[in-house]
Amino acid sequence: MAHNDALVAELEAKSNKLRNHCFTQFCTFEQGHAGGTMSIVDVVTALYLHHIKFDAKDPDWPERDRVVMSKAHCCEAIYAALVELGVYPEETLGTYYCYGSPFQGHADRWSTAGIDYSGGSLGQGLSFAAGMAYAEKLKMILKPPGAEETFLPRYIKRFDPLYRSYCILGDGELHEGQVWEAAMFANKFKLDNLIAIVDYNKWSLDGPTNDVMPIEPLMDKWKAFGWWVTEIDGHDMGQILDALDLSNRMYGDNRPKCIIAHTVKGYGVSHWETRRMHLGRGEEMMKGVREGREKYGDVR
Amino acid sequence: MATYGKHIQIGEPVLPAKGIEKALKAGALKDPRILAVLEDMGFPGIDWWTENMPERMVEVGIAEQNGAVVAGALAAEGFVPVIYSFLFANVGRALNQVRQSILVDRFNVKFIGREGAWGEVGISHNTIEGVGFSRVLPNLVILNPSDVVEAEKATEAMLQYHGPVLLRQESSPTPVRVFTDDYPFNIGKAYWVKEGSDATIIATGYMLTEAIAAIDLLEAEGLDVGILNMCTLKPLDVGAIIEASERSGAIVTAENASIIGGLGEGVAAVLAENLPAPMVRVGIEDEFSQSGLITPERDDLKIHFGLRAEDLVVSVKECIAKKERLRCRD
Repeated sequence: MAHNDALVAELEAKSNKLRNHCFTQFCTFEQGHAGGTMSIVDVVTALYLHHIKFDAKDPDWPERDRVVMSKAHCCEAIYAALVELGVYPEETLGTYYCYGSPFQGHADRWSTAGIDYSGGSLGQGLSFAAGMAYAEKLKMILKPPGAEETFLPRYIKRFDPLYRSYCILGDGELHEGQVWEAAMFANKFKLDNLIAIVDYNKWSLDGPTNDVMPIEPLMDKWKAFGWWVTEIDGHDMGQILDALDLSNRMYGDNRPKCIIAHTVKGYGVSHWETRRMHLGRGEEMMKGVREGREKYGDVR
Repeated sequence: MATYGKHIQIGEPVLPAKGIEKALKAGALKDPRILAVLEDMGFPGIDWWTENMPERMVEVGIAEQNGAVVAGALAAEGFVPVIYSFLFANVGRALNQVRQSILVDRFNVKFIGREGAWGEVGISHNTIEGVGFSRVLPNLVILNPSDVVEAEKATEAMLQYHGPVLLRQESSPTPVRVFTDDYPFNIGKAYWVKEGSDATIIATGYMLTEAIAAIDLLEAEGLDVGILNMCTLKPLDVGAIIEASERSGAIVTAENASIIGGLGEGVAAVLAENLPAPMVRVGIEDEFSQSGLITPERDDLKIHFGLRAEDLVVSVKECIAKKERLRCRD
């Protein structure tokens, strides 16, 4: 199913706006995880500003779709989306990294409304997302106190889960053995309400991900673990939307879903792209910010 | 005959595991949020669970890191997962996962971890470091019950408490039943098993059994020694420790764990900051355990580690001698 051009264009524009929000955060201390944030911005835009069930007025809504940012150092992209959704005012972007700020250096569930998982120690997010996906299934079976009113009407029609659980993984963190423990777990419990998105930007901190520790053949790996897998260009908004929609429609097939998004580290800012920058600091950072601001027209 | 506290009635040896199992079943029947998380290491009363609530058993296999984080997520969604395994596995193997995906957000996850210096299985499973590595973790309550009654009450309290709790199920010889059924258990409250003016043994877990046996030997020598039972290893009952220092001025700690990072060090810190008193720490010195059969007739590990009542008597006398030396100096 191809998406209409108007929607794609609208989300592409939003995506650029999110990039600008990220630049504002990077300026606070002239520091930030620029490379991985830029590579995932398009996916985050598609998720938060179009695809998922999320109520900006009630970020704890029990039926909201869960999003676990397993590569939690790239939370700048999520913060940008939360500002765009109106959960936080734009001024909050300027408090990134600050003491007491809701925009902490790594995603933190208790500091930030709209964040489902406190990450930072890589390789754990998929387990958490799988746990929340499994909890959705358990709520259907066990009906804990209070569940009757909220959930029961939906049990009857099982066209859709109560909520879906999304997990954004970095390619480097696939080195962690626990990711594959979680992959087995999701397969065992038939978590068709779980969608993992791999930000495959090919670069880790020490060098090319596949040199640091080869993760290929990646598609075959997920397939071997019993997952439904698809590969997309992670900067093509149409492809992102199609993959997300398809994973929704596949609900009921008893398989967890994995979308491998081929991306570019530092995408959209040539200074960062060529340097494959992981954590940018000082002038390195500001040079990229100036370039980006010029390119995306400072549409704050 | 020694005079014991109101809720003390010393009986025969009974496995504390029975108390844990009973409280878990009762808790699960009352509270539909409670889930059993298994890591291929069994579960207290596993047959009952399989028969009565199979849908509330989450078997994650030998994958403790995933298990810990999945439990964190289940707690985030309102369930109360109880993870059962060896302490070196469910907390130790997954230490960073427990920190990052449970304790940081204070998710309501319960751990039952088997640990202690004793056992046939040897150096890998007879671990002694669990209390040490767990005590430094913020937001984690640590309980270490001493007998079957306390094990049941501690498990019940753990399930009612909102927040992460580690309950240590000790690998040790079977402790005697010490407490009466109306023993008032509270998280964070120590219990005076016996008062005494010459010295106080602050005991936790199985070592309470040895401490009680030591009292008779000490009384025969004319010494009036108290016992303070410290089930909650975090947060420690600071008031009771200061009281022990006031009452007797000589403190011996007794634990079935490393003396580094455990009860002994915790008590030493409280004393040093409040009311210093001479101390002797009885526990496992800085070494690993090994295999050893436990029979009533023969217990090589108990002798090796110096955890017998006789060893406690020596430590108490050593501590009283330290107290006397301090007095002479004044």
